[in-house]
Amino acid sequence: MYEAVHAHPDGDSTPSRFARTAAEYGFEGVVVRSQGAPDHDACERASDRYGVDVVDAVEIVAAGPEQASGAVGNFRPKTTLLVLRGGDDNLNRFATEQERIDVLSRPMAGGDFNHVLAKSAKRNGVRVEFDFRRVLRADGGRRVQALKSMRKLRELVEYYDVPFVVSANPSSHLQLRAPRELVAVGERVGFSEEQVKTGLREWGRLAARNRERTSESFIAPGVKRGRYEEDG
Amino acid sequence: MKHLPKHLRPRWRYLAVGIETWPDATFIRGDFQRELWYAAQNLLGDAGSADADLTVYGFELQDGVGEAVVRVRRGHVGDARAALACVSSVADDEIGIRVRGVSGTVRACEESYLRGAAASSEKRQVVFEGSERSAVVRDDALCVRLPSGVLGATKLDFE
Repeated sequence: MYEAVHAHPDGDSTPSRFARTAAEYGFEGVVVRSQGAPDHDACERASDRYGVDVVDAVEIVAAGPEQASGAVGNFRPKTTLLVLRGGDDNLNRFATEQERIDVLSRPMAGGDFNHVLAKSAKRNGVRVEFDFRRVLRADGGRRVQALKSMRKLRELVEYYDVPFVVSANPSSHLQLRAPRELVAVGERVGFSEEQVKTGLREWGRLAARNRERTSESFIAPGVKRGRYEEDG
Repeated sequence: MKHLPKHLRPRWRYLAVGIETWPDATFIRGDFQRELWYAAQNLLGDAGSADADLTVYGFELQDGVGEAVVRVRRGHVGDARAALACVSSVADDEIGIRVRGVSGTVRACEESYLRGAAASSEKRQVVFEGSERSAVVRDDALCVRLPSGVLGATKLDFE
């Protein structure tokens, strides 16, 4: 299982500290979503030292679709995972219509999600993120709203079978929570154990898929280099 | 008051909880207990919180690393895990929490999952992003004091 984290300078811990804590907590990997160019070197070194897979990723935070579109073109070739942070309805719509985006994060923070976006996300293979940030770290009205919108998103995701990821959105190693704890919280707010685990594993699956696609031996989906018959 | 007959006494489970925070945090058992009750009440409601009956035993915290034993009514371990996960700060200090294991007695819990006193930490001056900062070092983990707050790092970042 993987967790997608915000590391320094966007967060309060370095990728290596995240890797250290994640290894202790039983995660198989960490996705470091940076808001600028990813630091491949730091990810690789942390990965070697602590024995967890540290995946480089970019989280695009844009004001509108035009700006986001430029960032997608810019960052897609430079990173393993491309995440777009949802902001308003236009951005959410833009994200679900882009095959080049892997994950739409925080779809319900400011924006909204509906059946049209759900279908288009499924068609384009864009994962929507269940953001546990407010469930874990807010209280009162803000948490109630977060839970309410999460329920709406969950119902849509279940009905249209949209691919999804789960994350606690930690911005320091102290905000990390172990998989079993996330499952326990998920179960209290209406998810099944399997859903939370699938959501956490999905990060790893995405990373593996994208790494395979960008590796030199990759030709096209479903096409493999193998042995061929020699002419007689 | 007279003790209850044995078959009517509540059964408990004990959770070994690992705690991590920034080195300058100085909260005590009472603060942690209060936050845990708040978290349980907010997440599980009054009824669920009373059922789980969370109590903190054996709380220890030193230089940002600590551990505690949390007692919960048998059958509510999942509730307790969820409530613990929702404790994000104690007395305004951010806190990292992890359930290391669950036992049927305090003693088994301590023997199996608690490590006792953590490795000692030391203060040191480090150079981070071109300027000198004070840091607290424990094993290979560092907490660097920056103008914007504290940064969690490891020795790997300074090699």
